[in-house]
Amino acid sequence: MFEKILIANRGEIALRVICACKELGIRTVAVYSEADRHSLHARFADEAICIGPAKSARSYLDIPSVISAAEITNADAIHPGYGFLSENADFAEVCETSGLTFIGPRPEIIRKMGMKQLARTAMKEGGVPILPGSEGILQSLEEALELGEQIGYPVMIKASAGGGGRGMRVVRNAEELGPLMAQAQAEAAAAFSNGDLYMEKLVENPRHIEFQVLADHHGNVEVLGERECSLQRRHQKLIEESPSVAVNDELRQRISKALQVALGNIGYTNAGTVEFLMGADGQLHFIEVNARIQVEHPVTEMVTGVDLVKAQIRIANGENLNNILPGRNLKLRGHAIECRINAEHPVTFVPSPGNITGLNLPGGAGIRVDTAAYQGGVIPPYYDSLVGKLIAHGADRTEAIARMKRALDMFVVEGIYTSIPLHQKLLNHPDFVAGNIDTGFIQRHGFMPEKK
Amino acid sequence: MTIKEIKEILELFNSTDVAELEVQRGDNRVRLRRASAEVNQVVMAAPVAAAPAPAAPAAPAAATKTPAPAPAPEENTTLVRSPIVGTYYDAPSPGAPSFVKVGDSVEQGQVLCIVESMKLMNEIEAEFAGTIVAKLMENGRPVEYGEALFSVKPR
Repeated sequence: MFEKILIANRGEIALRVICACKELGIRTVAVYSEADRHSLHARFADEAICIGPAKSARSYLDIPSVISAAEITNADAIHPGYGFLSENADFAEVCETSGLTFIGPRPEIIRKMGMKQLARTAMKEGGVPILPGSEGILQSLEEALELGEQIGYPVMIKASAGGGGRGMRVVRNAEELGPLMAQAQAEAAAAFSNGDLYMEKLVENPRHIEFQVLADHHGNVEVLGERECSLQRRHQKLIEESPSVAVNDELRQRISKALQVALGNIGYTNAGTVEFLMGADGQLHFIEVNARIQVEHPVTEMVTGVDLVKAQIRIANGENLNNILPGRNLKLRGHAIECRINAEHPVTFVPSPGNITGLNLPGGAGIRVDTAAYQGGVIPPYYDSLVGKLIAHGADRTEAIARMKRALDMFVVEGIYTSIPLHQKLLNHPDFVAGNIDTGFIQRHGFMPEKK
Repeated sequence: MTIKEIKEILELFNSTDVAELEVQRGDNRVRLRRASAEVNQVVMAAPVAAAPAPAAPAAPAAATKTPAPAPAPEENTTLVRSPIVGTYYDAPSPGAPSFVKVGDSVEQGQVLCIVESMKLMNEIEAEFAGTIVAKLMENGRPVEYGEALFSVKPR
């Protein structure tokens, strides 16, 4: 097993990895920026190295600094967490050439999954349902026009190398197609140095449903159920749950089997998430693979009883999934919900960094809090606004909601604004309680601030 | 380090009869020394002379009994800090003479040391002309971003 793991991240996920390492008896190295000198990940790791100034481009995103910190501390593996360098194939490659194990998929797989069109083709070949769209990269406007006619408007034009909404356009009719394609192409070329585009049928106000997978280096792929993350604001997830009320056992089994084949063919390893959209027809359509551990992984951990971060580390160490998941007969137990508590105003959504002057974390049966916040600590303005993740587990969805509501009441943060009041409103909304949710929910029900 | 933490350290210090106590967290360093008439001296981020104890090489954490000639927090000295994470070398190659020694006068742009990062030898240059007051890092030691390497009195 690894003797020492460097965690190339900050905040709650760095702490989460430290927990996993401590439980596995592995020593840890934290890296931190000057803004995070007094953060808990730097405190609870066995060693902590300052790698740069607050700006993440010069600290958490700076590959030479991170690798150098691993070298001076003799770490033998690096866990990238989520965000920052987690899906950077070049970083994974530098780790490899520096003799460090990157805890994640192999660089060429990260690269392939990052090229959305390649991932789409690979999934299709494995029998995973994809949205109607182009077979490969769009070669010309004529081809695009023909395809648009065939699959029917509205359609999405997407950058193959894309992400974060850049190089993406909704096209509602043939007249718009030419100009919007040119815009998307220019944007993609500027943002990703790659102007390749593909086309997909647009699903309006879909449910966002994703499947958690683990794959080892011995050809085993396990699917650990799904998460529904339909409550989003501008593509930022607010509430996630597992299982989804919209996925029945037959659908879950069918998708899981197809994913096992497709990911096996790809040669995928480590943890990953396969994202789908569900339209009004109740069918799932693949959109993309996230080749990392995700923010919302705890809901899957609660219902499967599997520690995903420890599994990641053991997989990177070469262990077989048959040992990591003895018997491989996973059962989903109960229902889990996660609220992302952000440092932002609950109505205007304006970020609210600052000092935490008072803090009470809820506890009790079925409650888990993943956070790096503490009383007297600070939410710096340089990074994401996540204060913590509140996770409620219950025998069924009703109990999970009840636990979440009472835990939100007992979650006190003073000194900064948080999204807790927004979560309380969402948890009490009759449509949420009934499970009638989709990605248009927040907008439709007036939770978005009015534009000036 | 916060004022509250320093207060706690002071309380701890006063509850014992230890002669001298030095606490470092990150690059904040507090040194407390008992002096008959003086008040406890609190020095933040003061350079510490890497004076090799002539007697028993005590554990690095143990407090030195002989109060090292307090590197009088000389006014007008500036700390040269490491701009990168890596390994500190004070000479161009093993066995070669050091780039600089205490008392040397250095020019702007003169190489003071090397910090190795990812097999690359990065020469750290003086950003201003001055005199080396203290060398704060041992040869071959890992350094963090922002760690103090030299105390220099600008000219």
